[in-house]
Amino acid sequence: MLISCNRLKKYITDAEDIDFLHLWDDFTLRVAEVEGVTVKGDDLDGVVTAKIIECEKHPESDKLSLLKVTDGEKEYNIVCGAPNVRVGFVGVLVKDGGMVSGIKIKTRKLAGYPSEGMMCAVDELGIGSDHDGILELPSDTPLGVDFKSLYPVEDIIVEIDNKSLTNRPDLWGHYGIAREVCAITNHELLPISLLDIPDDKKDLDIEIANPELCKRYCGLEIKNLVNNKTPLEMQIFLHYTGMRSLNLLVDVTNFLMLELGQPMHAFDERVVKNIRVQLANDKDTFTTLDGVERTLSKDTLMITNGDKYFGIAGIMGGLDSEILPDTTSVFIESACFDAGSIRKSAVRLGLRTEASARYEKSLDPNMCDVAIKRLAYLLKQENPEMEITSNLTDIYPEPLLPKTVVLKKNKLKKYTMIHFTDEEVVNSLTSLGFKVEVLDDAYSVIVPTYRATKDISMDADIIEEIVRLYGYENIKEVPLKLELTGKEEDTVWNKEYDVKKFLASRYSLNEVHSYLWFDSDLLKECHLEKQNVSLLGKNENNILRDDLSLSLLPMVKNNLKNFDKVGIFEIATVIINNENKRRLSILLADEEKNMKDIYMNAKEIVVSLFQTLKHQKIEWQKEVPDGYYDENLSYAILIKKKTMGYLKVFNGVCTRYIGKKKALVAIEIDFDEYVSLPVLETLYQEVSKYPTVTLDYTILTSKNMKYEDLLKILKPFYNKFVKEYKLVGTYEEEKKMKYTMRYILGSEEKTLESKEIDKFKEKFMEHITKNGLEILF
Amino acid sequence: MKEKVLKLKEEALQELQKLNKEADVLNCKAKYLGKKSKLNELLSSLKNLSVEEKKEMGPLLNQTKKELEEAFSKKLEEINSQISYDFDETLPVYVQTGSLHPITLVAKEMTDILKRMGFTVVSGPEMEEEYYNFEALNIPKDHPARDMQDTYYLSNGKLLRTHTSPNQVRAMQKYGAPLKVCAPGRVFRNEDMDANHENTFFQLEGMVIDKDISISNLIYVMRSLLSETFKKDVKVRLRPGFFPFTEPSFELDCSCLICGGKGCPTCKNSGWLEFCGCGMIHPNVLKESGIDPEEYTGFAFGFGITRLAMMKYKIGDIRVLNSGDIRALDEFEIE
Ligand SMILES: [Zn+2]
Repeated sequence: MLISCNRLKKYITDAEDIDFLHLWDDFTLRVAEVEGVTVKGDDLDGVVTAKIIECEKHPESDKLSLLKVTDGEKEYNIVCGAPNVRVGFVGVLVKDGGMVSGIKIKTRKLAGYPSEGMMCAVDELGIGSDHDGILELPSDTPLGVDFKSLYPVEDIIVEIDNKSLTNRPDLWGHYGIAREVCAITNHELLPISLLDIPDDKKDLDIEIANPELCKRYCGLEIKNLVNNKTPLEMQIFLHYTGMRSLNLLVDVTNFLMLELGQPMHAFDERVVKNIRVQLANDKDTFTTLDGVERTLSKDTLMITNGDKYFGIAGIMGGLDSEILPDTTSVFIESACFDAGSIRKSAVRLGLRTEASARYEKSLDPNMCDVAIKRLAYLLKQENPEMEITSNLTDIYPEPLLPKTVVLKKNKLKKYTMIHFTDEEVVNSLTSLGFKVEVLDDAYSVIVPTYRATKDISMDADIIEEIVRLYGYENIKEVPLKLELTGKEEDTVWNKEYDVKKFLASRYSLNEVHSYLWFDSDLLKECHLEKQNVSLLGKNENNILRDDLSLSLLPMVKNNLKNFDKVGIFEIATVIINNENKRRLSILLADEEKNMKDIYMNAKEIVVSLFQTLKHQKIEWQKEVPDGYYDENLSYAILIKKKTMGYLKVFNGVCTRYIGKKKALVAIEIDFDEYVSLPVLETLYQEVSKYPTVTLDYTILTSKNMKYEDLLKILKPFYNKFVKEYKLVGTYEEEKKMKYTMRYILGSEEKTLESKEIDKFKEKFMEHITKNGLEILF
Repeated sequence: MKEKVLKLKEEALQELQKLNKEADVLNCKAKYLGKKSKLNELLSSLKNLSVEEKKEMGPLLNQTKKELEEAFSKKLEEINSQISYDFDETLPVYVQTGSLHPITLVAKEMTDILKRMGFTVVSGPEMEEEYYNFEALNIPKDHPARDMQDTYYLSNGKLLRTHTSPNQVRAMQKYGAPLKVCAPGRVFRNEDMDANHENTFFQLEGMVIDKDISISNLIYVMRSLLSETFKKDVKVRLRPGFFPFTEPSFELDCSCLICGGKGCPTCKNSGWLEFCGCGMIHPNVLKESGIDPEEYTGFAFGFGITRLAMMKYKIGDIRVLNSGDIRALDEFEIE
C-alpha cells in the first residue's frame, strides 16, 4: 500500500517536527514492513504558472499551435501540440533551463519556430497519467508562481508491505497509519472534519437479508452535485497512491477508502429503487463495472436494486449503476461485510479489488457512518449547493462494542523479562487509542473497535502492543535454562542421515530430491494407470506416488543424457493405502551389456545395508512387487519372514523409457521397517586353537544350472567338520559352468586327522557324483 | 702362477664393478667362483704342486676366493637394497564419491547445532490432516492461508502440509510440556514455479515450551543458532509480524552476511536480511494441545532450509534442487 506523507501531515499535530524521510525504519521495527520510500517532485524544476495570451495555428501543422504565454513578467514563445490551448488559459510552464520528469528543457526550434520552454500535461509533471491536453489551472491562479509551492507536488511516498498488514484492518487507510506515526513520535492525532447529517428526512429503502454476512449498511442520498471535477490536490494524491482519477464522485469514494480504509460506492441515484443485501442464485450471471460477465454462486453476497443485481457486495459494482457524465445525484453506500464471505467470493470469481482486499481484513463496522459523513463533507467542499435528500439510513443489526481485555502484570513480565511501569503501559496503549484502567495486579484494557474485529482479543495481543512500541531491540537476550530433553524420535532422523551417508560414501551414489506425485508423462509413456490419492484441481502430475523407484525414473532418464552410468537414491514419502510411508529407493542404470554388474552391485548394496549397518542376515524370495516389474529377476528382501523391501528389475517398457539398450535395477526398502529393525549385537567368537583345512573343489555343471540350484545340492551334504563353505569363483564355458567352492574344515577340540579329512573328501565326491555332477581336478 | 691369480682377481673385480643387475652378478660369480671357474681349477690343481708352492699358493688362492666372494656378496647386497620400480608416479588420482543433497547437508548442520542446545529432532507426515495443518494452529476455517491457491488439497480429504508447524502440535500432544523440539521437513505450496518459487521445499521448525519462557530466550536461541550456522557473530532483530499460531509474532532479521550490517546491494542497504518468522506460541495453540497457557509459555520459529541452502551454496535457481540433475548435485560431497 502506498502512503502519502503530505496526507499524513494533515492528521498530526506539529507534523513539521517529524522527519518523514527517516521515520520509516522505526515504522518497520514498530508497526509494519516498509518496502520503499520515494521522494516525489524532485525531478521538477523551473515550473511556474503562466497564461496563454496569443494562440495561432502552426501554418504547416494541424496539431501544433504557436503560443505566446506570460508569467506576469516576461513573454515566451511556445510551440505546443496540445488540443486544449486557447487564449486566457492558465497552465504550467517549464522555462528554459527548467526540468520536467528529470529532463532539462532548453529553448529549441520546433517545426521551424523557436520554443522557449514547454506547457505541461499532468503526466509530464509526474502528477497524473493523462496526456490528452495540458493541465489547466483555475483562471484566478496568480501568474509566475512556482507550481510546487501551489500544489502538493513534493511528497514522500512510502510503500508498506501489504502482507505485513494482514491482521491490521485499521492500517489500510492513511488515518490509521497516522495514528501509529503519532504513537511512535509522541504526537497527537487530529480529528477529521465530518458533515453533520440531520435526521429529518426520509429513510432510504435498505434491507439486509443476511445479517451474518453484512454487519452494517449505511446509505445516503445526495442531489444537485453539479461540479464533478476533482480538485487538483486530490488528483495528485490519488495518482501518488496508485489510483486513477476519473471524476469527483468516483474519486471521492476512492479517497475515502485511502483515508479511512473504508470502501465506498456511489450509485447513480436515478436508478436506485430499493437496496437489498442478499445471496445470489446459483449460476446466475452478472456483468460487473469492468464489462465482464461473471457467474455467481449461492454463496455470493449481492447488492440488489428493485429485484435486480446491482453489485457484488464488497467487490465490484455493476454496469447499470455507473456514474455517468450527467450524473448529479448519487446514492452513497458505506457498508461492512463479512471478511470470509468476501474473500471466498473474490477467490471464486478471480476478482480481487482494492475494496475486497480491505473487507478481507475484517473492517470495523463502526467506520461506516463516519466515512459517509466524511464523504459528504468532502463533496460539500466542491459542491456548496448540494442537497442531502435522505437521512443517513443505517442498518446495523448488531452493533460492535469495544472489548475489554485484562492483562496480568506478571504475565507482561514473564513474556518480556522487563519491568514496565504503569505509566509506560498506560501511555503506550493510550497513544494507540486504547483505554486503560490500572488495577493492583493487572490492567483492564478497553480495545477500540477498529482493533477488535480480528486483531486483538486476549492478553498476549495487548503485550504485543506494549512491547512493540517499547522496541523489540531493547529486549536483552537470555539463555535458556532447560536441561536436555532428548526424545526417542531423534534416532529416526539420525538413521536416515547415516544410511544416506553410507550410500553416498561407500557406493558413490548421488542423493536426489523428487516430487511426491508421479510425472504424468512417465505414466503415459510406460502405459501405466495408477490409482492413488490425487491432488484436487489438477489434471497433470496429480497422482501421488505409491512407488518411489518408479517416480524416480524421469531423473534416471535425464541423467543418462549426460552419463553412461547413473546411481541415485532418495529417502522419501510415498502414499500407500491412504497412509504416509517412508521408503528408500536406489536406482542403478547402465548400458544393457552391464546388466549383470549393476544387478550384482545392487545385490551387494542390499546385503550391505542389512549386514553392515544392522548385522542382520537377509533371505531372498522371488516376488514381483507390481505388474511392471520383471518376474525372473525381482526378489523380495526378507528378514525373519518379514518383507523389508525389494530388489527389482523393471519390465521392458519401463526400461526402454529411460533409454535404448539400457539396463536398470532398483532397490526399494521399507524405511519405516528398516528404522525399527534393531542392530544385532555381534558376540565375540573364540578363534579355534586348532588349525583348519581348506579344500577347493571346482564343480562342473550344465549351463542352465544356477548357483541357487547347486546350493540345493550342496546344502543336504553334512559333515560335522565343515565349518563353512562358499563360492570363490565361477567360470563360464560355452555349454558348461564351473563353480569353485571352498570348504573349510576344522574342529574346536582337536587337530583333524588325515583319515578324517580323507573321509570327508570321499563322502563329498560321492555326494556330488550321486547328484550327476562332476568335480574337476 | 701368483701373477695369474692376482690378474684373475683383478679381472673379476673389474668385471663385477660394471654390473648392476642381480642376474649378471650371479653369472659373473659363477664364472669366477663356480665349479668350472679358473679359480676352482687352480684350487683343484693345488694338490699337484710342491710343498713349497702349496705353502705360498694355498693361502693366496683361499684369500682370493674369500675376497671375491665378499665382493660378490657386497655387490648383490648393494643391488638388492636399491631395487627401483618403473612407473610414472606423477599420474593423477580420482576419488570416486557420491553426493548428499544440499538440503540434507544444511538440515544436518542445523539440527546438529540445535541438538547441542538440547533440541530433539522430530518428524511428521507430509500428507497431513487439516486439523494439524490449520485448526490446531489457530488458523480458522475462513483464514486466507487455507485458500485453494496455496494449499494442495487431496482427494481423500487430507492435504499436503503447507508448513512444518503441524509438527509442533504433534509434539505437544505426544510429549506435553516442557518441550524442546525441532523438525526439518518437506512442505508443499500450490505455486507456479520459477527461479525463486518451488511447490516443494524444506522448512525447519523449532519450538521451546517451559515455565517462564520469554521473548529474551527466543532472541538468544535465534542469535546462537544463526551465529553457529554462518560461523560468525551475527546480530538479530525482531520486527512485528503476523502468524495465527504465535502472539506476539515477529519477523526476524539477521545482520547482513555480506556487509556485516554496513549496507550493501544484497541487503538493499539496510544492513539486515529477512530470515524467518517466529513468535511466542499463541495461547490457543497451547490450549488446543492440552498445555495450560497460564502455567507454560513458549516460542516457536520456522524458516526455509531451501532458501538457506541456496544462500549457503550460492544456488541461483531453486529448481536445481528438485531436478535430480547429478551434474549440479554431485558438487555437494559428504562432510
Ligand atoms: Zn549487506
